[in-house]
This record gives sequence, structure tokens and C-alpha cells, in this order.
Amino acid sequence: MNEITLANLMSPVAPTWCPGCGNFSILTALKQALVELKLNMEDVVIVFGIGCSGNTADFIKCYGLHALHGRGVANAIGIKLANHNQKVIMIGGDGDIYGEGFNHLVAACRGNHDLTTLVFNNHRYSLTTGQASPTSAKGTISKSTPQGLIENPIGALSTAISNGAGFVARAYAGKLKQMVDLIKEGILYEGFSLIDVQQPCPSFNKEQDYAWYQENVFDLAADYDPTNQGQALVTLLDQDKLGLGVLYRNDQRLAYHKEVPCLSAQSLIEQFPKEINLSKAIAEFV
Amino acid sequence: MDLESLNWKISAKAGEGVMSSAKLFAKACKRQGLSVFNYYEYPSLIKGGLQSGQVSASLSGSTCQRRHLDLLIIFHEKFIQDHLPEIDEKTLVIFNGNAFDPTKYPELKSKVVAINLTKIARDQGANPLASNIAALGVSACLFGMDLTILGRIVVEEFAKNKETAIKNLQVLQAAFVVATDLIKQNVFQPFGKLISSGVDEQILLTGNEAIGLGALAAGLQFYSAYPMTPATGVLHFLAAAQNDYPIVVKHAEDEIAAINHAIGASFAGVRAMTGSSGGGFALMVEALSFAGVSEIPLVVFEAMRQGPATGLPTWTSQGDLNFVLGAGHGEFLRVVLTPGDVQEHFQLAKLAVELAEKYQLPVLIVSDKYILESNQTMPKMQLVSQNQRASMLNNGQLGDTGLAEGEYLRYKASENGISTRSIPGQTNALQLSNSYEHDEYGFATEDAAVTKKAVDKRAAKIEALKLDLPKPLYLGSKNPEKILISFGSTINVLRDVLLDEAASQIAVIHLPCVYPFPNLELEKLLEGKTAETFVLEGNSTGQLNALIKRETNLPNLRSLLRYDGRPFYSEDLLEFIKTEKISEQYKLI
Repeated sequence: MNEITLANLMSPVAPTWCPGCGNFSILTALKQALVELKLNMEDVVIVFGIGCSGNTADFIKCYGLHALHGRGVANAIGIKLANHNQKVIMIGGDGDIYGEGFNHLVAACRGNHDLTTLVFNNHRYSLTTGQASPTSAKGTISKSTPQGLIENPIGALSTAISNGAGFVARAYAGKLKQMVDLIKEGILYEGFSLIDVQQPCPSFNKEQDYAWYQENVFDLAADYDPTNQGQALVTLLDQDKLGLGVLYRNDQRLAYHKEVPCLSAQSLIEQFPKEINLSKAIAEFV
Repeated sequence: MDLESLNWKISAKAGEGVMSSAKLFAKACKRQGLSVFNYYEYPSLIKGGLQSGQVSASLSGSTCQRRHLDLLIIFHEKFIQDHLPEIDEKTLVIFNGNAFDPTKYPELKSKVVAINLTKIARDQGANPLASNIAALGVSACLFGMDLTILGRIVVEEFAKNKETAIKNLQVLQAAFVVATDLIKQNVFQPFGKLISSGVDEQILLTGNEAIGLGALAAGLQFYSAYPMTPATGVLHFLAAAQNDYPIVVKHAEDEIAAINHAIGASFAGVRAMTGSSGGGFALMVEALSFAGVSEIPLVVFEAMRQGPATGLPTWTSQGDLNFVLGAGHGEFLRVVLTPGDVQEHFQLAKLAVELAEKYQLPVLIVSDKYILESNQTMPKMQLVSQNQRASMLNNGQLGDTGLAEGEYLRYKASENGISTRSIPGQTNALQLSNSYEHDEYGFATEDAAVTKKAVDKRAAKIEALKLDLPKPLYLGSKNPEKILISFGSTINVLRDVLLDEAASQIAVIHLPCVYPFPNLELEKLLEGKTAETFVLEGNSTGQLNALIKRETNLPNLRSLLRYDGRPFYSEDLLEFIKTEKISEQYKLI
């Protein structure tokens, strides 16, 4: 066993993000959360998407899978089913998880697979130099939408909640302590946890800078009840003001792997069939 | 008179029980000790449309369907038109009805006897659909089959519902009695008494089931797929196996998820596979490339059907060969296995799972609707098999590795290109499996030298890999006048061709693996042969022929092609061998 420490997580590769990028503080929060959870290095897997957020793969030492754009959530589900003793974390951007791979996000919610998905949401495709993303505001002018974005922003969190995600939260890259707490809670939650992390992109999203966020984020009220699904959905209807905290939490629903009969006693990897007898499998062929 | 073979077909609308009737009949022939091939044709719909199930059985070995029928059972008069090429004066046709007017069909040469099979079922208080069981009773009588064997099979089939089982048994017996009476009245004559070898050591299963079984034998623990004909049979088989074996089967939201689930599961250390037909595989292609560069073991099953696009969903083809050879952006090593008979589907699926892990690359099993959805007999395999992990750190054991932190490198350079793979849960063996080009740890790189080394490392596996691949199979004359080369399911038909005296001067070569291509082996097999050589394929452009041309120094070969969704028939090929003439449904180039 090798306990997680900041030193152990330290990668020899230095981050290549732009100065002022929200990714720095999100990575700090993630590392801090892993340390505070007192997990072991070998018991955590992180799947990375493609984009500025996915590049985190090189900036942290861990068991990692740097996947294809949009498909990481599907890989993460496979990892969890193969070894459900692993804490499986997915990191991707708004383009990756809400755009290219949205179908997989919805499927992960429906299955309540025990993964923690962190969406680094900067409202832009930044690695490809700043096109509008699924979370960009209507009217956004970008290189791919020079006449203004016609679509509405995607209702990703409400879709997640209405499709069975057990834990949905929103964090902000400018609030480190809250990020750490939400990531920890998400990892500990046994089921699908989606944490949308709002972050500025100083290079390609000039409209939503730190000052904009200071004006448009707020902490959910102390009496906000995250187990109230209806209230969570109503709260998310307001796409202008961004409530931070646990928006929804369902402790009644089992995680997917808990409902797979053959995983009840041991993880799949622990059941590698060194010897296999085909008698039952051929019974219908005799 | 002892009967050593039979050729039987039932034809009805989809939803009328053709499939189950033919399957039960095939099983009865198997239990009598015969070799059986049980072929289905059906449209891509659930109710209505012509559907047929055929059983060819013989003591000497039935490896494929044959066109000429001994007995045809039809449920709808108009369908007789569709079967005219299969029947002649030697064929007996049973029509499920009260009367049949042959004068409407001037080309009809066969005797048609109307028996109201539905009434037989009704009279026993059974569901009218049990007319398909009545068809079996009549058939058993006409072929002199052991009714107790068939009865036992019917009871087994309906074991879940005792009342239905008893009713169906009554229908079977009543139909047998009706046919016996008709023989007594000289309405028709029995074909003889089907021989019973007394030895029943074979199993009867589809190519799909054999693939599932072979993968299971190799320790497959994860299969994810999205339903698509004709690949769905593997999904169904393995899903059912979850009750008895340590395997998780995930019906994914789409094929992209299916392959990515499998990649994730394999990364975490379990043997994983996905499967689909051409259209679904098209969606998987990006991830195939991911498995290639990240060296994550993966088995992909590709079930060909007639295309392009939605094509002919329930009909056979070998049109995806070029596609599977080239699928995936960038360059990466892959294996393409093309099993022939059901037994080889079992063997190569097992091999595919083992090769994927040993060489850490994608292994494709490519087959087609014809054999995947046909039942064929094969010898019962060794039931207990041992599995060992390959190319894995600590043989895949979780926990302490004894390594010091920083010592382990996932993509460490090695002479044969294989580097030991760690999995999550092993101490001090962190790694990044990367879709980007990467260094020995797994960190992304754009360095020119590192990139070249990484590309060369992966490609180097081919030398050792080639030694583990199945070799071309040569059958027939040592000094042939003609040689027929094929891949995949066509060997089933060619084996039947070789049984005929007219084929004494021919040889056939079956390729169970087309990539890495067995160029030296094929060149050696053809060395010094002056025979005219044809490449038989289920496509219109001669894709295997082009591959042979690309990979070998052989002279140009001719192609004999069929691409109308139907399999080759041994009768057609024998005609070709004898006369060099071929039906207009084939193309010779």
C-alpha cells in the first residue's frame, strides 16, 4: 500500500495551461481531496478526456487512462465494472462530456455507475482555440460562430438529475475549499456523481472572467434541501445565476455494480477464471 | 432402406415457429449421431415474410446446406414459387392445409400432399402454432426417425412449461400417426429409415454461440455490445452465461460506448471483448485505434452482412474485409481471424482472447451471417480449460508488486515489442495508458525520437505474433487441376464440394487468418502448382484476391464472387468445376 500524498501525486511534467486558467486551482483541489480522503495510490483511477482539462493526465501521477474525446465516461464504466474496489474519477471539459460524449453521460446517470465526473466547464472549446461549446450562452460570438451562437446552452445538470444521477453538484474554480469538499463528497458518494466546475478561460472567454463569476455565482442557501429533486430542477432553470454546492443527492438508489449479481462478493478482476468448466455453457447444445 | 442422409426444409411466415421447428429437427438428427448443418433464411422483420429453416444431415458429414431437398414443408401455398429451384420429382412437399392445387404451378414437378398440421395441433388442445411440431411428427415418420429422441427434445425445449411440453408431445405423436396412416393409404412413401449411429458425442450450435463459448473458455470476463444482426447471438449467449460464470455483459447505449466499455474493463485487467456487424463496427473504429496505440488488449467481433449501410440486414456477405483490415486512423498492428466452421469459431475465439492479452493489441474475429446464424455439429470440446495471464505484471495479481516507486515503466522498450502491463490495484506500478503518443511511462509526447521508438516498439510485435497464428489449411488433391482459395465460412461449402467424385482433381485452401497475412505459407502451398487458381469470396470486388496480390509474389489469380446475400452452394461450384459455367448470380473475373 502506498498512501496518497501531495508528493506522490506530483508529476514530473509541468502544466501547460495559460496563466490564470481555472484548471490550476481545480487540480489543486482534486489533489487536496485525494490526500484528505487518505486513499492509496493504487486504488484510484482517473480517466481523462481530450481538451485542456484532459491534459491534466500529464500533470498528476496516478493510474490513468487518457481516453478519446467524449468517450472517457464509457471507459470509466468499464473500469468500474472490472474492478469496483477502485475509486474511478473522470475528468473532462464541457465540450467533451456535454458535447461529444453527452450520450455516455446520460447512460452513466441512468445506470448510476459509481464514478465521479468532474467537468471543467469554461464554456469554450479552448484547446482548439476557443469555439463556442455546449454551455456557451446563446449569441456567443466565436471563431466557429462569428454571427452568434444560435443554440441555447445545454441543460446538462438537469438532464443528469432527471436521468438518475445520484449526486449532482456545482463548484467554482475560484472557491478552493468548497471545491475540495464537493470533490470529496462526490468520491465518497456510492453512485454517479457529477460535479460541474465553473472556471474562467482567460484566453478564449473574455466575457466570463473572474469578475463575472463573482457576480454570477452564489452559495445555495443553508436550508436548501438537496434531496428534493423538484427543487433542484427548478433551481437549475435559472441559467444566469449559478448556485454552488450539492444541488441534488439521492441516497436511496443503488450504484450499478451493486445490482450485478456476480459482483456481490468479489470484484470481477478477483474472479479471473484460472480454470473454467464449460459443462453448463454447452448444456443447450447437446 | 437405411438412410444415411437427408435434406429437409420448412418454410413459413416469420413468427410461425420455423426457427424452433428446424432447430429441434436438427437436434434430433444430431442425437441419432449424424453430422448436421442447419441453415436459416429470414427477412428483417418480426411477422410475415418468407422464412425458412433447412437441415442437411448425414453420417459422412454435412458441412453446409444443399439446394436439392428431399422433403419440403410449406405453410403458405404461394411460397411454393420461391422453392421451385430446390425441388424436383424426387422431392416430397407437405402443404399445411386441406388441399393443394398443383395445376396453378405448371413448373412444379414434385408431389404435394396437403396435411392440415394446424388442425392436428388444435385437435390436441395445443396452440395452433404447434403446427410446427406437427411438421416434425410427419417428418419423423417419413424419415423413419426415432420418435422417442424427438419427443425427448420437444419436452426439453418446453421444459419451463410442463403443460405446453405435454401438449406438444401429443401433437408430435398425433402427427406421426397421421403420417403413418397416409403411408398405409399409399398417399406417400417413407424415404427410408434414418440411420442411427448410436454415438452422440457432438454438440450442435451456431457460429455465434461457438464464439461466445470459445471466449468464455479463454476466461473472457467482459462483453459489451449493442444489438445488431447477425452479431447479436454472441450478446445473447454471453448474457445468459452470466448466471453461471464470472462475466459481466453490458448492453451499451451505442457501439461507441460498447467498445469503450471493453477498453476500460481491459485496462483494469479483465479479458474484454465487444462485437457488432459492419455498421456498428464503423462506429467503433476510432476506439479501435485507441486500443492500438495504448496497447490495451481488445477482442472485436465483426459479423458481416450484405451492405453497404443498412444493406440486407439478415443476409450474408464477406464485403467488410477491406474495412476491417484498414479500420482505424493512423497505423497500428492488429490481428484479423476469419474462422470457417463452427469448431474453428470456438478455437479462434479462444485464441483471439489469448492473443489480445499476450500481444496487447486489438484482435478482430471476422465472420458472416451464413455461419454465425447456422447451427452446425462439432465434436464436444474438452470441457475444462486452464487459463494463465500473459504479459502482465505479477500475472495480474492485485496488491504488492515488490517494486520500488518509479521503477516500473508501462511502455518499456523491449526486443519483441511487448512490455509488461500493470493494472490499477497493483502497488508502485502507476502508468498512464494513453491515446496520445507517449513515452515509456505513458506521458504524452511530441518528441520525434520518442515517437519513432514508440511506433517501432508496437510494430515489432509482428514477428513473434506470426508464430502464434493459425496457418492456411490445404485440402484435396496433391496435384490439382483447379485450386479454390477462400476465407471464413466458405470452407464449409468447399468441404462439401470435396466429397463429390467430380472434385477429385481439385484442392481448396482455407485462410483462418488474413492479417498478418500468411504470405510465405500461401506461396509455399502454391509452389510448383500449375493449377488454375480461383479466389472465392462473398463480395463483388475480390477483396481477398487483392490482399493476396498485395501481400504475396503470386501471379494474378481469378475471382469467383457472390454478393447477393446468399452463400455459395456446392452444387453450383461442382457445376463450375465440371463445366466452367456458373450461374448468373455469381461473377467470374
